[in-house]
Amino acid sequence: MTRYIVRRLITLLPTLLGVTIVIFLFLRLIPGDPAVAMLGEHAATENVERIREQLGLNRPLFLDREALEEGDFTGFFDTQYVRYVGRLLRGDLGSSIHRRIPIAETLKARFPATVELALVSIIIGAIVGVLAGIISAARRNSPIDTTTMLGSLAGVSIPVYWLGLMVIMLFAVMLQWLPAGGRLDPAIELETRTNLFLIDAVVSGNMEALVDALKHLALPALVLATHPMSIIARMTRSSMLEVLQEDYIRTAQAKGLRERAVLLRHALKNAFLPVITIIGLQTGTLLAGAILTETIFSWPGIGKWVYDAILARDYPIVQGGTLLIAFIFVFANLVVDVSYAFLDPRIHYE
Amino acid sequence: MTQMESTPQEAGKIVGEDLRTFALREHRSLWSDAWRRLLASPTGRIGMAIVAFFVVATLLTHFFWEYNPATDLDYSLKLKAPNLTATEEVPSIHPFGTDKLGRDILRRVAHGGWNSLRVGLVAVGISLLVGGLLGLVAGFYETMPLDQTARMMLYVLIGLLLGGLVAWVAGQIIQVVAFVLLGGIAAYFSDLWTGQPRRLALFGGAGLLIGAVPALFTSLAMALVCGLLGLAIGLTLGLSLRGPVVSTIIMRTMDVILAFPGILLAIAIVAMLGPGLDKGMIAIGFVGIPVYARLVRSSVLAVMQEEYVVAGLAVGVGQRRILFRHVVPNTLSPIIVQSTMGLASAILWAGALGFLGLGAIPPEPEWGAMLGDSYRYLTTGAWWAVVFPGLAIMLSVLGFNLLGDGLRDALDPRLRA
Repeated sequence: MTRYIVRRLITLLPTLLGVTIVIFLFLRLIPGDPAVAMLGEHAATENVERIREQLGLNRPLFLDREALEEGDFTGFFDTQYVRYVGRLLRGDLGSSIHRRIPIAETLKARFPATVELALVSIIIGAIVGVLAGIISAARRNSPIDTTTMLGSLAGVSIPVYWLGLMVIMLFAVMLQWLPAGGRLDPAIELETRTNLFLIDAVVSGNMEALVDALKHLALPALVLATHPMSIIARMTRSSMLEVLQEDYIRTAQAKGLRERAVLLRHALKNAFLPVITIIGLQTGTLLAGAILTETIFSWPGIGKWVYDAILARDYPIVQGGTLLIAFIFVFANLVVDVSYAFLDPRIHYE
Repeated sequence: MTQMESTPQEAGKIVGEDLRTFALREHRSLWSDAWRRLLASPTGRIGMAIVAFFVVATLLTHFFWEYNPATDLDYSLKLKAPNLTATEEVPSIHPFGTDKLGRDILRRVAHGGWNSLRVGLVAVGISLLVGGLLGLVAGFYETMPLDQTARMMLYVLIGLLLGGLVAWVAGQIIQVVAFVLLGGIAAYFSDLWTGQPRRLALFGGAGLLIGAVPALFTSLAMALVCGLLGLAIGLTLGLSLRGPVVSTIIMRTMDVILAFPGILLAIAIVAMLGPGLDKGMIAIGFVGIPVYARLVRSSVLAVMQEEYVVAGLAVGVGQRRILFRHVVPNTLSPIIVQSTMGLASAILWAGALGFLGLGAIPPEPEWGAMLGDSYRYLTTGAWWAVVFPGLAIMLSVLGFNLLGDGLRDALDPRLRA
């Protein structure tokens, strides 16, 4: 088992190396000079040149062939990409060009916001989705089943950005029940330690903040949960239907077990593996930042941060944020794969 | 002549046909069978109806309803609510209302369909073509040995790409030519000393010389670097590369693309290429490539296990014939299903890009861009400017998803839930 995990981690290395190359290359190919972006359009040429040198932007991208022509062996590798990877290995993500704030510091504040939103969404999505899937499968072809399946199809078809706008219009503008955006009312003071506001509020016993944070969380979490919820419901239903045809289910029914026991203890347990897979993959997707949902609800997470940075050409933020997102994504998939072996004793990895 | 007065000859024919259908089940192809099943399933029917509605409406609008977005502007009609009868204040009829520039939303939604559906089609086309081809090659050569042509192509490609790197570093065109030749030679003499150390020594030495000797004319350090690179290339060519190597390279590349959340990658590509519908198509198409590559590879691997392929190989059918006569046709059904659902997600993503202001360039009508244009006016109560374009996206996506669901049930009865 440990050997399998180690082997998987080793095969991840080329992928992660590829990820750094892609991120690096993309940012250099995006039109616009970050030095100009820093200093403004009308900066003097020599200032721009100085900044370019400071940032290392005057170096070649991957390999410096001119240095080699002059016989300079170390200069050959002294390039933007090699410097970038070197900084990464030292744990240095750089600083925002515009605000001069270290990326790592902003990440500490922003990532918990995304985690909070993602986890609450996936919990809602998993509970509702699994329940709907079980009921659908148990009452196959009944009106409940048809409604659930149509609903889940609508759920995967609805554009998240549109749904977000609709619920804002309904609950924030027309009914004024819930706030339209943000994480917490600025008037409320909350001592932040983990930056997961729900936990911070509970730990410090600040009920007012807890209620307000929940209110702010409600709409974005529901909107973000729609898509995973629908997928989980469909997967649970089809997996349950398959298991419900097995002989041991008929045996369980024949010996007079209650329906609930058959469904939950016999069927669900055996139908759960693909469902867990889907939940795991969806968690990875959500943790990777819900750019659209975060943008619509002005949620200060990493998705919105990276999106804003792309538009503002703030290279280091895009690099750091995208890298983090890609790593989370890749590791989430790995965790899902490995968890198979724990959940299903029939699966063995050498 | 009425139907009753048929000649004895015709009557006999009818009886004959009845007898035949009675005695023998009428021959039906896989496709006509699937078509019947599709028509029989409610989801398939509803999906087809919605898709047909959007396609017909879009085509009619595009070709018969003139619209010039550049001149469409009337501030006196700014943000008017939907009306079905003309009033003094709003003399024209706007069933979907008007937007912030006083443009009729019904008209723009109808014309936006052309752009949204086109983006979906082209994007899926790109993903399917590139991803499908890569998946086909990966899946096929994972199980089949490379034949002489394929090996030649692989080795020459390695020589071209890696040799190109050396040539670029050294600044000498001769190197890439030499490495391509070396690749060709390695492929042609693939049986020479196969698997023996002396083969490695031969090609490694040749690579070392090709890399180092021309580079000596520049500098010693250059010769060292190019020599080492050349040695690595030579050793690679000296190994007898098998099919799985090809598959591994392709699938690892796909993994890199898959390591990014799709929407982020699409945004990054559009940021690189600049906004515009055509750029959006490329971005969405690119992001979809690994999905199709993986799907096609796994279906090819499954088909390669089938008895008819094994039998074909056993009686000596050629690789190309196996590939195109047996493998490709049998991977079509999952591809068709995935493409239909892919259209749905491509439309969703195109809308997302448009909504973020990265898709269609204003004033070009596109559903997502219309949403992005109008959502700031929600607080003033102008719900219609947001509701209708969004409904159009959702309905068309729903249509393709339903159709995809129906197609899956129809094409693969084993998968039926």
